[in-house]
This record gives sequence, C-alpha cells and structure tokens, in this order.
Amino acid sequence: MFVEMLPAIAFYILAATAVGMAFMVIASRNPVHSVVFLIGTFLASAGLFVLMGAEFLALLLIMVYVGAVAVLFMFVVMMLDVDFVEMKQGFLQYLPIGGVVACILLAEMILVGAASLVNPGAGVKFAEDGTSNIEAIGNVLYTEYAFFFEAVGLILLLAMVGAIVLTLRKRDGVKTQNISEQIARTREGGVELVDIKPGEGIGS
Amino acid sequence: MQEFSFGQLSFLAGELVLALSVGELLLIGIFVSKYGASIVRYASIAVLLIFAFSGFILNGTGSAFNGAFISDDFSHYVKALIGVTAAITLWFSRDWLKRENLDQYEYSILMIFAVLGMGIMVSSGNLLTMYVGLEMQALALYVMAAFNRDSLRASEAGLKYFVLGALSSGMLLYGMSLIYGFTGTLSFAQIAIVLSGQESVNMGIVAGLVFMLAGLAFKISAAPFHMWTPDVYEGAPTPVTAFFAGAPKLAALALITRLITGPFGEISQSWVQVLVVLAVMSMIIGAFGALMQTNIKRLMGYSSIANMGYALVALAAGGIAGVSGMLIFMSIYLVTVVGVFAAIMQMRTRDGALEGIADLAGLSKSNLPLSLVMTALMFSLAGIPFFMGFFGKWFALTPAFEAGLTWLVVVALLASVVGAFYYLRIIKTIWFDDQAHTFVKAPRSLTLISSASALLLFPILLLPFVTAPARALIEAAAASLF
Amino acid sequence: MIELFGMEWPWLLWKLVQILLFVIVLLVGLAFLLLMDRKVWAAVQLRRGPNVVGPFGLLQSFADFLKFVFKELIIPAGSDKVLFILAPIITLVTAFGVWAVVPAAPGWVISNLNLGVLYILAISSLGVYGIIIGGWASNSKYPFLGALRSTAQMISYEVSIGFILITVLLLVGSLNLTEIVNAQAGGFWNWHALMLDFGDPKSLILFPVMFYMFVLFCISALAETNRPPFDLPEAESELVAGYQVEYSSTAYLLFMIGEYLNIVLMCAMLTVMFLGGWHAPLDVKLSFMPQIPPFFWFAGKVVFMFFLFAMVKAIVPRYRYDQLMRLGWKVFLPSSLVAIVIVSTYVMMFGRTAVGLAGGG
Repeated sequence: MFVEMLPAIAFYILAATAVGMAFMVIASRNPVHSVVFLIGTFLASAGLFVLMGAEFLALLLIMVYVGAVAVLFMFVVMMLDVDFVEMKQGFLQYLPIGGVVACILLAEMILVGAASLVNPGAGVKFAEDGTSNIEAIGNVLYTEYAFFFEAVGLILLLAMVGAIVLTLRKRDGVKTQNISEQIARTREGGVELVDIKPGEGIGS
Repeated sequence: MQEFSFGQLSFLAGELVLALSVGELLLIGIFVSKYGASIVRYASIAVLLIFAFSGFILNGTGSAFNGAFISDDFSHYVKALIGVTAAITLWFSRDWLKRENLDQYEYSILMIFAVLGMGIMVSSGNLLTMYVGLEMQALALYVMAAFNRDSLRASEAGLKYFVLGALSSGMLLYGMSLIYGFTGTLSFAQIAIVLSGQESVNMGIVAGLVFMLAGLAFKISAAPFHMWTPDVYEGAPTPVTAFFAGAPKLAALALITRLITGPFGEISQSWVQVLVVLAVMSMIIGAFGALMQTNIKRLMGYSSIANMGYALVALAAGGIAGVSGMLIFMSIYLVTVVGVFAAIMQMRTRDGALEGIADLAGLSKSNLPLSLVMTALMFSLAGIPFFMGFFGKWFALTPAFEAGLTWLVVVALLASVVGAFYYLRIIKTIWFDDQAHTFVKAPRSLTLISSASALLLFPILLLPFVTAPARALIEAAAASLF
Repeated sequence: MIELFGMEWPWLLWKLVQILLFVIVLLVGLAFLLLMDRKVWAAVQLRRGPNVVGPFGLLQSFADFLKFVFKELIIPAGSDKVLFILAPIITLVTAFGVWAVVPAAPGWVISNLNLGVLYILAISSLGVYGIIIGGWASNSKYPFLGALRSTAQMISYEVSIGFILITVLLLVGSLNLTEIVNAQAGGFWNWHALMLDFGDPKSLILFPVMFYMFVLFCISALAETNRPPFDLPEAESELVAGYQVEYSSTAYLLFMIGEYLNIVLMCAMLTVMFLGGWHAPLDVKLSFMPQIPPFFWFAGKVVFMFFLFAMVKAIVPRYRYDQLMRLGWKVFLPSSLVAIVIVSTYVMMFGRTAVGLAGGG
C-alpha cells in the first residue's frame, strides 16, 4: 500500500520543494541565497523529470544548469558589488506590471490545463519498445532535427564570437608565456659562457 | 516523413554558403593580422552577394527537412533584398569604422551571422526554424548594437536591445508553446491543416497567435512594442543603425507574412484586428514622436516606426495584393533608408561625427550635392508625389482601401501628413538656415550610395528598366505564398 | 523510474543495507588510503610518516578522526552561518552520492543505472557548490579567492573529462558502467587504456588515441579534485588553505572526507573506464591457484591508481594558474575533441570494439 504511494509522495515533496524554492528565489534578501534556492528549484525539477521517466533530461538539467550555468551565475553574483537593498526599492513600483505578467502566465497555464482535461489522450508519449531515453533522443536529434541541431550550433558559435567581441581587450605590454618557444630553447641560445679575466669584470 | 536527400540542400545553398564561409572568415580574421579586417570585409561582401542571388540563380522551389525550410519565390525575393542591403551597408561602413577605431573583422562576421539568421527566418516552415533564425539574427544584432563597447551610449543601446529582445523572444516562445500545445505540431503546413479542420477557433490558438505577433512586433519595432527603437537607433554606431533600419525589419515582416498566409491563413478574423491595432498605433506614435526630436538618428527611429505601420496596413489587407503591396513598400523603403543613412554618415567635421538635425543648418551653402541628395530622400520619405516614396505608400494603402479598411487608410494619410512636417523641417534647415558646420570630404562609397539611392527615387529614371521586372518579381513572390 | 517504487518492501530494506555497507567500506578504506597517501609522501621525502598510533601508525586516521570530532566547531562571526554549515555537507553528500552507480564487482552496485556515466558527471558537478559556497560563506578573503579559483578550475576540467569519457562511450555504445566494464573483459589488451592487440592491425589506430585519453583523464582527474600539482585552490604559499581556512573540527573533517572520496572516485572511474574494472589482466584460470575474486582486482586497481596520485603529489611541483588554464582549454580540450573525431570514425568504419561478454568476470 505504502509502496504504491511512493511515487505520489515523491511527486508532492518534489513539487512543493520546487514551488517553495522558486518563491524563495525572489523573496530572499541576499542574492547569493537566491541563487542557492534557484539551484534547489533546478534539483527539484530534475527529480520531477525522473518521476516522469525522463531521466536523461533530468541528468542533463543537473549537468548543464546546476553544474555549469548556475555556478557561473553564482560566481558573478558573489563578485558583484551591488547594493541589493537599494535595488529592491523599486519592487512595489513594478508590482502592477509584474502582477499583470503573472496573471497572463497563470491564464496560460489554466488554458493548457483545461485543454488536457478536455482532451486527455494528448499527453506525454512513452517509447513502447523499451528504447532508453538517450537512444530515443539520439535517433531523432541527428536525423529529423539535424537542421536545427546544426543551426543551434551556429548560434553558440555566434554567442562565443559576440562575447569575445564585447569583452576581449588586447593590452600592450602584457607578458605571456609561449610554451613551445620555451621548450624549444636550446643550451646554445640560452647560455653564454664568458671568460672573465680576474680584476677586470665583464666591462661594457 | 519525407526522406532526406542531398538534393534538398540546394534549397538552402545560400545559407550553407554563409554558414561555411563564416568559419573560414573567422580563421582568416584570427590568423591574418595585418589586412585581416579588410580581407574579411570584402570576402563577406562577396559572400553576401552570392547569398542574395543564389535563390534566383538556382531558382529551386520546394522544401527541405520535412518542410522545415521553404524555398520559394517569396524567399528568393526577400533574401535578395536582405543580402544586397547587408552587402551595401558593410561596404560603406568601412570608412566610419576606421575613423572610430572600430575596424575589426568581427563586424563582418556578425553581419554574416545576422543575414544567415534572417535567411532562416524568411524560409522558415516550422516554428522551430523560425525561432532559431530569429534568435540567430537577434543575437548578432545585440552584439552589433554594442559594438562600440567603449561608448556608454552604445553599451546602453546594446543592453536595452538585448533585454527587450529577450522579453520579446519570451513572448514569442509562449505563443509558440500554446500553438504547439493546441495543434500538436510545429510544422506550418500541419498547423494549417489542423486549423482548417476546425469549425471554431480555439481560444488557446488565438492567444498563442497574439503572443507570437507581439513578439514579432518587437522585432519590427511596431508600437506599442517600439520602446527600444529610438534609444537603440541613437546609441548604436551609425552604420549599424543603417543596417537595423532595413534588413531585420524586412525579415521580420516576411516572417509575419509567412505566418498569416501559411499556418494561420484560415483564421484571418483572429489576426486582422491585431495587425490593425499595431498599424494604427505605430503610425500615430511614429508620426507624433518624431516631431520633437533633435537627433537625426532618433528621428529616423520614429520614422521607421511609422513606416512599419504603413507596411502593416498592407498586410492587414491580406491577399496577394496586400503582400505585394508590402513588398513594394518595403523595397522602396529599403532603398531610401540606406541612402538616408549614407547621407547621415557624411555629416562629419574634423572633431567627429555629428548627429543633430541643427548641424545640417545651411548645408546647401557648403555642400550642394549632399543637400540635393538629402532633399530628394526626405521628399520621398514624406511621400511627396512623383517620388518613389509616394508610390510605395500608394501600393501599401490601395489594398487596404479595396479590402474595405477605409478608416485605416484615412488614419495612414493623416499620419503621413504629420510625418511630412518633420521631413520638410529637415529640408528647411538645410536650405534656409544659417550655416553651422562645414563637413569634411566624405569617402566615395558614401557619396556613391547616397546619390544612387536618391537617383533611384525619381521614377522617371527607372520606370522602364527597373520597375517592370521588379513588379513581375514581386507579384510572383506574393503569389507563391498562396 | 516509477516501477522502481512498485517493488516490495524487502527491496527497500536491502537497498538501505547496501548503501550502509558501501558507506562503511568506503570510510574504512579511506582511512587507510589517507594513511597510505601520507606514508608515500613521507617515503619520497625520506621521512617515516605517521608511525605512532597503532602498529606502523595504522590507526593514525582514526585518531585524527576522533580529534576532529571532539574539537570545537568555530563559526566566524561575520560568516553566513547557514551556508557555512551547509557547504561541507554538500561536499560530503555529493561525494557519497556519486558512488551509487560505481560497480565494484559483478552485481555489486547500488543502482545499475543506464545513464551511469551521465549520473556521475551530473552529481560530481554538484560538488563545486560545496567549495564555492564554503569559500563565500566564510566571509574572508583567502577562502573566497580559493573558492573562485577552484570553481573555474573544476568547471574547465569537467569539460575535457566529459569529452574523454565520450571516446570510451563511443567504443562501448552504452552509458551503463557495468556494460562498460564488461566490454573490457578478456585480458588487458581489451582495456581501454591499452587497446593493443598485435593480431589486429586496426588496434594500432586506437591504441595511441586511447592511451593518450587515459593519460589525459589521469591529469584531468588531478585537476578536477584539486590534487597536487593542481591544488591551487588551497595553495598554502598563496592562500593559506584556500576555501578551508575558516573551517575547523567536524566541518573541516567533512570537507576532507569529501575531497578524498572524490579522489578515490576518480581512481575508480579510471579503473572502470580504462582499466577493465574488476576483470583480471589475464583471463587464465590456473587450477593450482585460488581464483582472485573480482572485487579485489577492482580494489587493487583503485589502490594502484591512488598510489600514482600520491606519487604525483610528492614529486611534481605546483602549476601556475595561467598554466593550468592553458593546459585545460588549449591542450586537453582540442586534443580530446580530435580524439572523439578519430574514435567515432573508427567506430563508423570498423564497428565497436566491445567484446560484450555477458556477465563478464
């Protein structure tokens, strides 16, 4: 009895955690705490993915968003020297706009929820022949969606170029190490033996 | 499922050329240090021209990747315009960039990326293609807006554009997710089939469509989603603004056209009002917002808002006439706007570039050719009869009149009367005010482009040679959508 | 995973027992590995190392453990108390959590996930948070600098570790760790580190690539776990003890255990991915010799790798930070990308190498 309820219990715990953490992201005063709660939200959503049988997506979510994106996010937030208390001053001022956006989103979710009630057949489709998640994704990603895959790759290249354009500054007079040059040094090029006569010095 | 064959790749030959050359040009830019920027620029211009005409040369019509990528007369025509505009902008930005110490090869690379994104947008036959193209284009434009990173205004422009652009992408994605949720497919053709089978339109689909149109309205800077336009136009480097004013607008308009003729052609009752509202607000805000401007780039920003309004009037009329009216209007607008910015970039004294309208005062006394060019361009933008701009508006508004949207045409005419005021004010400043500055001699590329553009605006000169074939192309392009 | 919960109660209890067993074995093993680390280090420097507590100092780690636990836990006044306590816990929990999918012998695994490799990458990438949160919560300069260094370092090397693992995955065609181990059955020439089969000229293509990948993985593992010569986050000459400066008592102990567990995990990963897991180097059964159980092969390989790590710590001088970054991004990343191209071409042309003996062992 209890064992059958485990998925439901897990769902309620994870969903409550996700919602609670998401609320804390905007409610907490300290931005670093916000990021920590954001990570909690991600983890709880990853758990929900696992419950839905999308374990590949869950692990990818953790790897990409928690393991890389949120780390860099935290990195930046920790190093920023912004007075966040002051930034929160405008909170009430923008509350109406935020409220409108929230209402629109809520309406959208109700729409989607209502549609799934009306048409219950159109749910998540599971692979029936026991192909694993990663196989199923791999099978369509590189065939049916190859064009999008390549195009998204180009977008990433573009993002890289853009980031470098906007941030890289070539400074003069910076000493850098050229490893191959350093390794290619020979004794002849690096050492000079000078026979110094006593009492005269090298002279110049 | 349609089988993949390499023959399909010929439909996206132009995009493939762009994508492959981006990699090569990046390597050239990195490893050739001395003339790298120049080599990359001229190679990019060549690549962009190849892209522009590849559609017409190969002339393949069909779709690749299960209908995700459509190649037809419409996409050929729009891509040709985009490619040529981008190539011209790239060519005449050289001098400006050099003077501002911004001559880096990445500028050309970003331009190619933007055009590639636009190409994908124009050819999209699938919600995913559309989004991928839009993002690629937008990302390149964000970076280009902030290209002069040491300038506070350019950084602000880039940031503002980025934040609002991200917001618009979010709205677009919401709309797309709703459409996907309620139709169960991403493909335009499938959506059209699903929608034609329904007797009443689902609320969810209407909401999704409105969200998508709002997201795209951001990209064409139609009111009430125009907030970013004046600031970005003013802050971005002038050649970048010249590019912003033309090609991206056309690409986004083409995308809207594809949406309302393809997947949502059956439910015109749900999008016509949206387009009408966007058009009316754009025309009014564009006309009245420009009145008080003192910066000519800001003024052009408001002018482009108003012009997008006219283009949307044509689209709201719908049908082949509406689409071809939009294409004619946009073609003429692109020619004009490239010329206007080439003229604006000639406003330079020894101390640097000038952007104030007052700086044009008495230009006729110091630089007669530039004043004549500027006058012709402004007359055309104002829609004075017998300049091409007049015919642009004529073709944009006639379909709406015929479709019974008389009041919309009246609003458009009133807005263009208000608009004429500030265009004429510039002409007055040029010819009747006391001389303010003497501009330095402009590089030949700028004078050439601005004069060519001004000459093209006299219909008598090109009536027989250009107009007739162009009309035929546009009619074919518009017809290919239906 | 829903069916996972549908099983009977004993299954749940049995899993709990397994987890407990794993944790105890790991902790006790770790105590002796720590001692070995110090002994090897001492031997290289011609010292005796710990030799007072118990015979040959064998109980030294347990004495240290008691010492840490009974000391006072000092929380700096300006610190963020919740995060300060949370950080070592994150490190420890993620370090233990990763072990859930590591197979120590046929069937000796808590959860035989199909996406085992991905799971390891995902959970071990969470380990960064322990360090970065700990460094920030201390509200002190050295820990913060250490945390920043460590984060950048771990993220950089995670990328190349991922690419290196892809070469192995391409050869095996599965992300399940047990299947990866079984693909290497039959003898040391089937191990991914040494794919040298003299009867098969094709292996001459693969051997240099995969051996190079093995070496890259070893080095990346050192960097990923902040081991010398890449221990910049806790470089004592620059940052005192990096992110651990403000930690004392049990909190420090948790960090320490987590760190060493990660090191042992990397040794286990090397064993599973490249050194044939629990398979013997030569698959011969001699009647007069008792068969060595598979677990001991696994443990022996892990200990051997740990010995190498300890030797590296003793012998190699510390890298400079820019050299570290250069190595990661400009050497490891491109070369592992090239390796992926070579290996995938090989797989396309000649098929997978996996022997795929069912059951293995």
